[in-house]
Amino acid sequence: MKINLEKIINIVGKENISTDPGDLLVYGSDSSVHEASACIVVRPGKIEHVQKIVIYANSKKIPIISRGAGSGMSGQAVPIKGGIILDMKRMNHILEVNLADVYCRVEPGVVDDDLNHVLKSHSVFYPPAPASSRVATIGGEIANNASGVRSIKYGAVRDYVLGMKVVMANGDLVSFGCKNRVEAAGYQLDRLMVGSEGTLGIIVEATLRFIPIPKLRCMGTAKFNKLKEAGDSIAEIMASGCQPSLLELMDNIAITAVNKAMDFGLPDVDAILMFEADGMVKEAIDFEMKKIKAICEKHNGFGIELSYDAKERTRIFSGRKKLFPSLSKYKELFACTSLADDMAVPYSKMAVMAQKIHDVAKRNNVIMTAYGHCGSGCMHTKILLDPTKNKQWDNAKNAVKEIYDFVASIDGSTSAEHGIGISKAFAFKKEKHDSLNFMHAIKKALDPNNILNPGKLMDAPDDWVTATRLRYKHN
Amino acid sequence: MEFNNLKKWQDKLHVCIRCGYCFEHCHLFKITGWESDAPRGKLVMLHALLQGDIDPSDSIAEKIFECYMCKRCEASCSAKVEITELFQDARTDFAEAGYDVTGTTSKTNEDKCGMCQSCISVCKHEARSVDEENDKIVVDIVKCQSCGCCVATCPTGAAYSREGFGLTQNELCQQVKNYLEGGTV
Ligand SMILES: Cc1cc2nc3c(=O)[nH]c(=O)nc-3n(C[C@H](O)[C@H](O)[C@H](O)COP(=O)(O)OP(=O)(O)OC[C@H]3O[C@@H](n4cnc5c(N)ncnc54)[C@H](O)[C@@H]3O)c2cc1C
Repeated sequence: MKINLEKIINIVGKENISTDPGDLLVYGSDSSVHEASACIVVRPGKIEHVQKIVIYANSKKIPIISRGAGSGMSGQAVPIKGGIILDMKRMNHILEVNLADVYCRVEPGVVDDDLNHVLKSHSVFYPPAPASSRVATIGGEIANNASGVRSIKYGAVRDYVLGMKVVMANGDLVSFGCKNRVEAAGYQLDRLMVGSEGTLGIIVEATLRFIPIPKLRCMGTAKFNKLKEAGDSIAEIMASGCQPSLLELMDNIAITAVNKAMDFGLPDVDAILMFEADGMVKEAIDFEMKKIKAICEKHNGFGIELSYDAKERTRIFSGRKKLFPSLSKYKELFACTSLADDMAVPYSKMAVMAQKIHDVAKRNNVIMTAYGHCGSGCMHTKILLDPTKNKQWDNAKNAVKEIYDFVASIDGSTSAEHGIGISKAFAFKKEKHDSLNFMHAIKKALDPNNILNPGKLMDAPDDWVTATRLRYKHN
Repeated sequence: MEFNNLKKWQDKLHVCIRCGYCFEHCHLFKITGWESDAPRGKLVMLHALLQGDIDPSDSIAEKIFECYMCKRCEASCSAKVEITELFQDARTDFAEAGYDVTGTTSKTNEDKCGMCQSCISVCKHEARSVDEENDKIVVDIVKCQSCGCCVATCPTGAAYSREGFGLTQNELCQQVKNYLEGGTV
């Protein structure tokens, strides 16, 4: 693939491009198991740069992969077909905070926590908050429809996007959506971009709404001697009309990992539920917490502790927030991989899903943990394995397949929040089999030369193990 | 190139899950914005070097010697990757392989140096010494931790290191001004 360097340097300046093999390697990986090499990394500073680069790439049919922080877990930002990495992190200005009309406009490279830091001074917040909010960019979050611990009450990114500016594959700059809370003006094209993983257009500006920060939060923890009882509690809490602002599960493997990595002193039980209620009125929060506590107790939850204290809440939750990195400390020399890692699961099936994860792990001789934002219907798992052994990758492949077969059988979905990218494509294609033609038609209409993040979602290879180089050497 | 020191990390480097949480703690990344300046990026390169996926080069060596060893990344890493120890081992291997790079380490301008040796007495990393044969101050780039004490102490301005992450005083002022006005560099 030949790229006219001079042309690109003329657009963004030579300090904003790199073809150094080290950079190509770094920008060819993300938080997934995949790695591939692009031809060049380009860092646009403004919309015009993006347009010019896209026009050039389109004329030469060169792939172009938008990249935020590269914290995606399914290889969404990995350049499987080579080409140009468009690092959007320089476009990181908060353009407007409009308190009167309750929206803000931001460039795509703004980091979630940075936006919330600014919003906090106005007593408002943008709630989706993936655990990776300290690094994830707004562009990456929209392209992935990220969600997080508070999505149980406040929803996912798609619920906060009012509109956006997008550079399309032919270089046109278009506006989707609007700046208002409601809109019924035709196709909701802003929604089409949400979750599109950089395959339909490049988001260069987003208009997001925000909401008031609740004045009070109360966090609780309940311990369980049986994972199933924790799962049953989740189902009953969610079906009973309770409105927790957070409801997280950690199984024993997760608990052990956090204790090992952070010397955290969590109790050695089968499962812990963390729950929270928030609002402006203490009585309303107490009411919610009382209901949740009673349901946990009914399912043999014990040692229930509640705290309104901000410091204590942060302390309790920091173990959960750093769980994913902590998991790689669970077993010496084992790697913690994100494969089938964020299934959307019906509440009533949460307990069997958790149990299934453990059964599948045992059968396939890998370690798997059941945890996640179960209150919003998202069950996480990670596969811990010896990444140097071929056999372990075969085992992982089997385990992943078994998990997704089960998810399909209980009417779940392949991904609740981490997206499809490369590693979940086979299950995604199976799940969405009757709408794939429509997806291909949309892609063809908007990106006829297939330059925008090609080889992802419905176009990704079925075999994720051989789709790209894996970041671990194995034999 | 031999990775005599780095190789002990061969089976441990995958403990880094590449979450990128180290970005927010890295001064160098905050200024340059290049992922290859952040700890995660450097670990990706070291992993690839050990696996033979990439060849060693001046530019990779330069990156590995660019670190102020503040250890903020390490302190916050929940996967407990021993980041600076890894960098230190990589630096030793690069130096032993003859890579002559500077990174953020300090140097001495011989024309300005009066051989007062105050830089040696303030260097707590024992990175500076006198080369008796050539009558000059030399810096051990593996030992130098880029703390800048020698630069601050040198009465003649002979000890120097890359100023303000490669920026001149004026450029730095401009960046601070931009940041204060627009919230970004
Ligand atoms: C430790 C850890 C915890 C995580 N926790 C969560 C969680 O709780 N919830 C959750 O949802 N996710 C989570 N994630 C996954 C990930 O952080 C999020 O999905 C996040 O939204 C990705 O943002 P990013 O900026 O890193 O995007 P990248 O990984 O850089 O890119 C992701 C996708 O977005 C596209 N993209 C990026 N910018 C643009 C743009 N401007 N225009 C068009 N497309 C673009 C890319 O092409 C790619 O397809 C976690 C990741 C880690 C490592």
